[in-house]
Amino acid sequence: METAQLTGTRPAEVVRTQGLHRLLVAAIVALLFAGGGFLLHSEAQGEVIALLAAFVAIFVFAERLSAGRRAIALCRAHPGTVNLAAAVSVLAIAAVLREEHYTLLMMATVALFATAAAGLTLQMAFAGVPNFAGAGFFAIGAYVPAVLGGTGIPHLVVLLIAGCAAALLGLAILLPVLRTRGHYAALVTIAFGLLLRSFLEVNDVLGGPQGMKVPAFSLFGLSFARITEIGPYDVSFYLPYALAGCALFALAFFVVRRLETSFVGLAFDAVRSDEVAASVFGLSIARWKATAFLIGNAMIGVAGALYGMMNGFVNPNSANFGDSLIMLSILVLGGFGNLWGAVVASVVILVIPEKLQAIQEYRLVIFALLVIAILRFRPSGLMPRATRDLSALAMGGQR
Amino acid sequence: MDPGLLAQYLFNGLMLGTIYAIVAVGFSLFFGVLDVIKFSHGDVVAVGAFSAFGAAGLTAALVALPGPLALAVGLVAALGAGAVSGVVIGRVLVLPLKNAPAVNVLLATLMAGTVLREAIRLAVPNGGNPKPFPALLPDGVLAAGSFSVGIDSVIILVGGLAVVLATHLVITRTRLGLAIRAVAQDDEVAQLAGVNFTKTVLGTFALGSMLAGLAGLMLGLYYREINFNMGILLGIIGFACAVVGGLGSLIGPILGGFLFAGIQTLATVVLPFTSAYKDVVAFAVIIALIGLFPTGLIAEKSSERV
Amino acid sequence: MMRNRNILRLCSAVLAAVSLAGAPAFARDTVKIAFIGPLTGGNSATGLGGRNSASLAVDLHNANPASKYTYELVPFDDECKPNVGVQVATKAASDKSIIAGITHYCSAVAIATVDTYNRFGLPVVVWGAVLPEITYGNDYPEIHRVNGTMINEGKMAAEFLTKQGFKTFVVIHDTTDYGKGQNKYFAENLKPQGGDILATFAVPPDQQDFTAELTKVKELKPDVVFIGGLTPLGVRVRSQMDRLGIPAQLAGVSGIMSAGFLDGAGAAAEGTISFHNGAPLTRYAGGKAFMDAYAKAGYREDPDAYGPFAFSAANLIMDAIDKVGPDRKKVRAQLNGTKGYQALVGEINFDDHRQNIVSANVYVAQDGKWVYWPDSAYAAGAKKLPGK
Repeated sequence: METAQLTGTRPAEVVRTQGLHRLLVAAIVALLFAGGGFLLHSEAQGEVIALLAAFVAIFVFAERLSAGRRAIALCRAHPGTVNLAAAVSVLAIAAVLREEHYTLLMMATVALFATAAAGLTLQMAFAGVPNFAGAGFFAIGAYVPAVLGGTGIPHLVVLLIAGCAAALLGLAILLPVLRTRGHYAALVTIAFGLLLRSFLEVNDVLGGPQGMKVPAFSLFGLSFARITEIGPYDVSFYLPYALAGCALFALAFFVVRRLETSFVGLAFDAVRSDEVAASVFGLSIARWKATAFLIGNAMIGVAGALYGMMNGFVNPNSANFGDSLIMLSILVLGGFGNLWGAVVASVVILVIPEKLQAIQEYRLVIFALLVIAILRFRPSGLMPRATRDLSALAMGGQR
Repeated sequence: MDPGLLAQYLFNGLMLGTIYAIVAVGFSLFFGVLDVIKFSHGDVVAVGAFSAFGAAGLTAALVALPGPLALAVGLVAALGAGAVSGVVIGRVLVLPLKNAPAVNVLLATLMAGTVLREAIRLAVPNGGNPKPFPALLPDGVLAAGSFSVGIDSVIILVGGLAVVLATHLVITRTRLGLAIRAVAQDDEVAQLAGVNFTKTVLGTFALGSMLAGLAGLMLGLYYREINFNMGILLGIIGFACAVVGGLGSLIGPILGGFLFAGIQTLATVVLPFTSAYKDVVAFAVIIALIGLFPTGLIAEKSSERV
Repeated sequence: MMRNRNILRLCSAVLAAVSLAGAPAFARDTVKIAFIGPLTGGNSATGLGGRNSASLAVDLHNANPASKYTYELVPFDDECKPNVGVQVATKAASDKSIIAGITHYCSAVAIATVDTYNRFGLPVVVWGAVLPEITYGNDYPEIHRVNGTMINEGKMAAEFLTKQGFKTFVVIHDTTDYGKGQNKYFAENLKPQGGDILATFAVPPDQQDFTAELTKVKELKPDVVFIGGLTPLGVRVRSQMDRLGIPAQLAGVSGIMSAGFLDGAGAAAEGTISFHNGAPLTRYAGGKAFMDAYAKAGYREDPDAYGPFAFSAANLIMDAIDKVGPDRKKVRAQLNGTKGYQALVGEINFDDHRQNIVSANVYVAQDGKWVYWPDSAYAAGAKKLPGK
């Protein structure tokens, strides 16, 4: 669009360059996803290291060279193509790796944590409400199907109930969260997370420290655990979970992007960046913060419910502070407010430690150093959120 | 209740509160000068404890030192290791991230804490197991009825309270303290007035982390047992105490420390047979307190910095 | 790609076999077995001890010319977290080249992963987790266990302590399933023996300060303080009991019977009683040889209380594979029928739930060592338990 405007070429050529650009964007996305899929699947240490090096090289290329910067700009200009290409790539990866249990499990895990990160994005990156109890809300989501899974309620409804349960429980600390700011609000959520975990552990109603078994997800009477073939192909039972996880992320992506580009997103930005100014313009700080907090928790809860059903169990340990920090790390490393960044960061945070199994007891220390290195040298995350560009509106609203 | 037991509870609570307060003061100091939360603070406590443990062990293997001298070796090691790790983390991690969002610093320092923790576990022989801390203080028990307290506990408590007081004096009476307060109020104006910003910040990190190292030594002496992950929970509790008391103030975190210890002890006394719920109670009280006092019990002087 | 890698692996295995066995008459195939346990974090001491012991078993077995295959141990870290456990269990179980597994120390992880092993048909032998439900809560033919459960530890503890003349007890247990279970089985068995529990304190496993609980204990004046938890809890309670001047006897389950407890509690450990599924290494036929080989291999960490079980589980699996070949189903059937297998930890007999039948033993901390009760100076009357 912008190239067309700037150069003023004739319509037929515009269409052609547009098509070419779209093709290029799709190719870039497909290439990146293929690399990601390969990384997810590869077990040989040499391959993993080579792939990681390739990704770092691509990053440097995209940032430092003008060709790379142009490629990024092109991708930003065609979000529809990016999303479509991503969806097709995911389906292609799933089709190719349909029998690989572990890879599909990791793929589903990445998708569900990215979904939870989308919820956190809404809260922290948009409305500026800290949430250090992400794993707590995730675990609440998983406890809902553990209790309701066997009652005959359709599992899609159970997912919705899980979202509502997480949002409702969040209400318990809504007031202190709204009254406070910054580190004070952060502590409220940290304390809530610790409280929740310790409550689940000492109280035997929900299975105590041992937790509960969670039934497998079933869609219209078809249990995911029993799926072993689709048509003529043998598939892993993790395949439907991987697809459902990706679908859930797609939904979350859609919701968050719609909110971001609507007046709601503008309100969030205003509330986050300057409360005083926002209230001068008549925005209710409390209302917008509460909205973000509740919707975000609901999204985390739904993702947690599906995760619990995939793993088949949930216990209080799932609600620990460390796991909340994992979610937070995904948000920060990916780039605050960028959902694609959250996907990349989910891969970095969840998959790389697993690939590091060969170094055994040194895993944690090396992983921590890696995160520090990223934070230190890329303080705005791997893929920073694009600044809101309202110039088109100013130029007469031709968007 | 038996007054002896009551005194026992009171003493336990005071002891716990002093340790919490010393850790919490560090959090508050860092926040004061740089508006950051340094979450590796709890693990610096473990670094201090293990340094004292290692130094005392090494010297004991070489020469037989009399008690006070061995203690001095441990003290120097704990303070030194604390100060060094604080300055290194401040220099390498926190200062360069000064302008990054607060949550980045928080995450980076949490990861730094993980590195410290895992480094202790991997570097110390059989580091995953708890270690016995040598008894460097005189033995002996003071008893009165059902109240009994070790002489070493009394020394630790008095020492801890003296340190809290000394920190207060450093902040209010020395040049470094003046610089810290100046930077805390407005770093730009402070720099215009000739305060060396970097030096002051690193000085604060050294001071706060020395307190953490000292807390590690105290924990070792008191419990006679140290452990590579002793800092995790202590870090969170210290942070909670600092926030409840009021970040950036000096009295606030001390108040917070004693308050938290008080709640924990009280919960065990009042609900003895459901003591598993005491953490639930303690954190619920914390949430309620923050809800009531959104900027801490001792509010920051300039809470609205525009 | 895949084939290339396999050829490479084969080559390296051949090379390894050649270099290990000197000049063997034939090249041995490589067979992989998994080890899963906590290698990082708070429980890593036991996990690393288990891993070292299993790896020692593999090395010794490979060095034996009678071995039909060259075994390769693939270690995984479950971090003592159930969700990570399910991930690595899936990874190990879906890797067709892995024939069997030596799995889990943490009960919460072991119970979460049983479904995974069953689904993928990977035969595993649990080497350290003691929750009864791991074997008794399901009927999966894949799940075996060489160590005993907490049921026989609790029973032995109740019987032994009451027989020693102790009447009143206070239980301090952690809020994990391990601590809660130990409390349950101890309390259940204590009642018929006539013992009386004055108070039960449930505490989080990472709690540092117990002075508030112990002050309460001081008020109650029990004969015995019983610990249901792991080493750190035991060490803290033991040292803090001294600080408050509580004269009671300390007893605890196998979770505290580690070198770490003796080391951590120092002189205060003297006279502490513990109950463990295994007999002491020195009483086993191969105990001395194991200790010597372990020392010779130069591992950085001690084998810890469950190392011998990991060692035995590894040998059990390798002998089964040697007998029936690297086929999961056959190995499973072979393991299922284990009777009278001579292992480092004594004879292994699996019951109908593939649970090794073991009886718990009593130990006492004496002069900085865990001493088998019948051998101790306390049983001989030369020393008196602190609680008496």
